[in-house]
Amino acid sequence: MRVPISWLSEFIDLKGSPEEIAEILTMGGIEVGSIEDPYENLGELVAVKILEVLEPEELKEIALCKVTDGKEVYTVITTAKDQVKPGLVLGLVKPGSTTFTFQKIEIKHIKKYQSYGMFLSPYEAGIGEEKDKLLILPEDAPLGESIYKILGISETVLELEITPNRGDVLSILGAARELHTLTSWELKPIKFEDYLKAGNKFKGKIEIEDKDGCFRYAGRFFANVKVQESPFHIQKKLWLCGLRPINNIVDITNYVLLEFGQPLHAFDWNKIKDHTIVIRKAKIGEKLLMLDGIEREFTEEDLVIADAEKPMVLAGIMGGEDSGVSEETAHIFLESAWFNPKRIRKSSQRHRITTESSYRFERGIDPEGVILGLLRASELILEIAKAEKFSEIMDLYPKPYIAPQILLSQKKLSKYLGFSIPLEEVENTLNKIGWVRRSEGSFEVIPYSYRQDLKIPEDLIEEVARIYGYEKIPTTYPKAVLYAKAPLDIINLENKVKNVLKSLGFFQIITYSFIDPKSLEKLNLSHDDPRKNLIEIANPIASTQSVMRTTLVPGLLETACFNLFREVNSLKIFEIGKVFFPTEDVLAYEPMHLGILLMGNNTEEIWYEEPRKFDIYDLKGYLEEFFEILKIPIQFKPYSSEPFLKKGVSFDLILNNSKIGFAGEVKNLILKEFDLKTNVLLAEIDLEPVLKQWEEVFKVKKPPKYPSTFRDVTCILKREIKIGDILEFIKSLSVLYLEKVKCIKIYEGPPIPEDEKSVSLRFWYRAPDRTLTDEEVNEIQEDLAKKIFIKFSAKPR
Amino acid sequence: MIADEIEKLKSEIWQEFENIDSLSELNNFRIKYIGKKGVITSYLKKLKDLTLEEKKRLGKELNQLKADIETRLKQKEKEILFKEEDKEVGLDLTLPGRRVFLGAIHPLSQIIDELCAIFSRLGFEIVTGPEIETEYYNFTALNIPDWHPARDMQATFYLKNGAILRTHTSPMQIRTMLERVPPLRIIAPGKVYRCDADVRHSPMFHQIEGLMVDREVSFSDLKGILTYFAKETFGEKTKVRFRPSYFPFTEPSVEMDIGCVICNSKGCRVCSYTGWLEILGAGMVHPEVFKAVNYDTEIWQGFAFGLGIERIAMIKYGIDDIRLFFENHLYFLESFK
Ligand SMILES: [Zn+2]
Repeated sequence: MRVPISWLSEFIDLKGSPEEIAEILTMGGIEVGSIEDPYENLGELVAVKILEVLEPEELKEIALCKVTDGKEVYTVITTAKDQVKPGLVLGLVKPGSTTFTFQKIEIKHIKKYQSYGMFLSPYEAGIGEEKDKLLILPEDAPLGESIYKILGISETVLELEITPNRGDVLSILGAARELHTLTSWELKPIKFEDYLKAGNKFKGKIEIEDKDGCFRYAGRFFANVKVQESPFHIQKKLWLCGLRPINNIVDITNYVLLEFGQPLHAFDWNKIKDHTIVIRKAKIGEKLLMLDGIEREFTEEDLVIADAEKPMVLAGIMGGEDSGVSEETAHIFLESAWFNPKRIRKSSQRHRITTESSYRFERGIDPEGVILGLLRASELILEIAKAEKFSEIMDLYPKPYIAPQILLSQKKLSKYLGFSIPLEEVENTLNKIGWVRRSEGSFEVIPYSYRQDLKIPEDLIEEVARIYGYEKIPTTYPKAVLYAKAPLDIINLENKVKNVLKSLGFFQIITYSFIDPKSLEKLNLSHDDPRKNLIEIANPIASTQSVMRTTLVPGLLETACFNLFREVNSLKIFEIGKVFFPTEDVLAYEPMHLGILLMGNNTEEIWYEEPRKFDIYDLKGYLEEFFEILKIPIQFKPYSSEPFLKKGVSFDLILNNSKIGFAGEVKNLILKEFDLKTNVLLAEIDLEPVLKQWEEVFKVKKPPKYPSTFRDVTCILKREIKIGDILEFIKSLSVLYLEKVKCIKIYEGPPIPEDEKSVSLRFWYRAPDRTLTDEEVNEIQEDLAKKIFIKFSAKPR
Repeated sequence: MIADEIEKLKSEIWQEFENIDSLSELNNFRIKYIGKKGVITSYLKKLKDLTLEEKKRLGKELNQLKADIETRLKQKEKEILFKEEDKEVGLDLTLPGRRVFLGAIHPLSQIIDELCAIFSRLGFEIVTGPEIETEYYNFTALNIPDWHPARDMQATFYLKNGAILRTHTSPMQIRTMLERVPPLRIIAPGKVYRCDADVRHSPMFHQIEGLMVDREVSFSDLKGILTYFAKETFGEKTKVRFRPSYFPFTEPSVEMDIGCVICNSKGCRVCSYTGWLEILGAGMVHPEVFKAVNYDTEIWQGFAFGLGIERIAMIKYGIDDIRLFFENHLYFLESFK
């Protein structure tokens, strides 16, 4: 809502600068977003002196002027040939700037000539009526200076950001009342001549059929109006508020809307069939071509203003093209009404139209303003549109507004605010928003009709607090019952996961929860994969963000791609976040997932180390450490069937016999789909089963009392034999004193035959109660080695 | 005669001793003087022609000398060995070291953790809830019926089954109050979604909701808690101010600004030349909200607040484009190690 200070001062005796007014309003809850001078905002409208006037032969109608702004010389083309002569100082609007008439100026070419801007008339400059004359500035005016500075013209407009509950401030009058409430600056009385309230008998018929939709409907008839351009002072005020002038009748309705916050609608009387006005529900299928050029079809929930035959206006929102006022209009009917805010909002939403009018009706207008607005408009129509006659005011008000009586006890006020404001002060404050009756320890308040946002005692508490000043309310700590609760497991787990992965050198990423359904196609998921059971967004910003993710993989791959295209060739990242699956219910199943991605090399090229591509053993190593820290007995089951992973270098992650995730190298074809020209490994884990099993328990190991000894065995095996199988086999033998076994070396290549490999295992032995002798260990080891050799057809090396 | 010689020998020995500079010199010295065929041994041999008394005296003297030499040689040897280790040629220590790199937690995650820690110290517990919500929890129960213009304040993503993506963390007020009995103090961090995107707005962002319900908790207390939060987050000297505002689920409602930390309240582009930055919205819980969860407003009152994590992160780290948080470029993430 734009509020020009000059207009505001017609309603209130302002006793502060615009900055002070802005501060008062902001601290009172009406935030002032900016303080502007609309003249300045037009751009460069400056004084220039004509140096030379040329009259090109081929263009008889124009003059070519060489002008200077004191710094440079420009050529400006003008059709006002007879008004220009060297030495004259004129107003020039430069290219890129705008005129009062909403004209955006560009460099213009006529034949071979170029016009750098346009000479201004007083009207185009927004300082007077004259359109046919150029604005002539004093001879000694400083060239290049803003014409408004030279002429001492300025306006200040406050941009108010009004919260939805304060529809009453959506007008100049409303802003004045609010300032009065916050400061006690005197309001100027609003008076109307008595004759405006009378008038001839109304010759039409008005009926409110839908009393739920229309609470009050008033209007009057005007005969023989002259529809023409509005006078300058009306246009200027509309311009200050950002509205374009149309014709005097429409301008007056806009003027009153801005001034009093009362939306009005003017009908062409002769277009109203049978001069009958019915406020009713629309009939299914009824259509109306509206002022924005769009034909809309109504439903029974829409409220329309109809004549005897058809709808003319979508009530409170927008009129039809036919019934509106035009140059040919002679008689008009002017409507001033109060519609049900809920109904207006629903229609406005359904048809996706928001107008100055619907915006105000939705937020609730002042029921008493209906007549006030009509009177104000009448005054202006008589003065400006020279109406010859007018009718009485028709006022259909079936159920007059009754303001609520709100009881506020002093006790409640103090308890709510945490301190006491003196009763006198409370009463003075409440007096500004309604009629107050003070009784023992409490106040009974009937708010003014324009303050329909005040309904309950808490609303009054806010009024008292804000008028008194939030700043003056003390700052204290609550007195509360002490209680504590251990943090949720999921939060502990999340923190643990983040910290572990950070220590392992991973960077946490956060990507959008909505993804592109195409990215799941790219992953080549089969059609019955549960991850293709998607929750779709009905109104996505873009199709690339139109479904809720069911896996973190697309986000990880896209982040990798984003980095790869911006100088980052290697990456270690993870994301922890929810994925979403539909359920029988409205709500979704939202398990927390962890995604991990490795890309590129394990190190940058650097003097001490040869970089090497991340491979599956890197990923497995990180996951082993991760799960060990979490004390989750995860199993790595080779060869996942995830379609986007290379089978031979992938695992399913198994916990308690069920799959909770996967890890592996991404297929080259998939990488191509995601524009990734490097190696990528990834893993995704459902943290919900992890959470169930996760406990912060520690098994503390003590330093050994007796030394261990180790024995190495190197053997030649068939290549296809898996080390894991050998270790499993050894484990199954439950060898006495054997503490651990590790594979310490694998060698393939000459002189070992092509289908074989050399494997070295190291065995550690320890007894809990003594030092083992060499003989003992040798005996156990030999026996064990024999068993292994037989089992796996191995040969010693 | 021989006694004089021994005296001379002594001074020779100690003079030569002073000049020993390496292990080999030290060895030669040892062999020369106290070796089996060394000078001192040869002198000891010479003693046999002397009187018993002299033999005894000089013998003792020579043996003492030998012992002294041995002691000092040991000492010298240690000194030389110490020096020896410093003699190795220095490496090119201008080369960078073999680094092990730590990763980083996402800046938004860090801010959430920080704020949760602050409120945990104040006795608030952390709760979480669904990101896909019903209109009832997100709006209706929060006193925002579907005809209410306040719905325009939050552009909503609708799902095809009629659910929505929560537009704020406030539904957690309702969910918690329905589950528990007062008194309670909770904060609910999480993702929220709104249907707009530009430099300042992201369709997904993070909020923390706070709620305290107790018998006497008042508007002054709300100011107290939030002032503490601002000062701990932005520094002890941070100025705060409270402005009346409007949220359908609080009454009275308030917005808290902090003195602009970028320009020190002098006025800059970030604070729109006001010197103030809006940080959060808050207020006393609206009786309609208590009604929705069947809390007796005669006994219980409370306050709620909601703050945007991205906004706080942007102010704290001087970031002017919200999209940086969700692009996850490594260089950006590395700054938050
Ligand atoms: Zn600033």
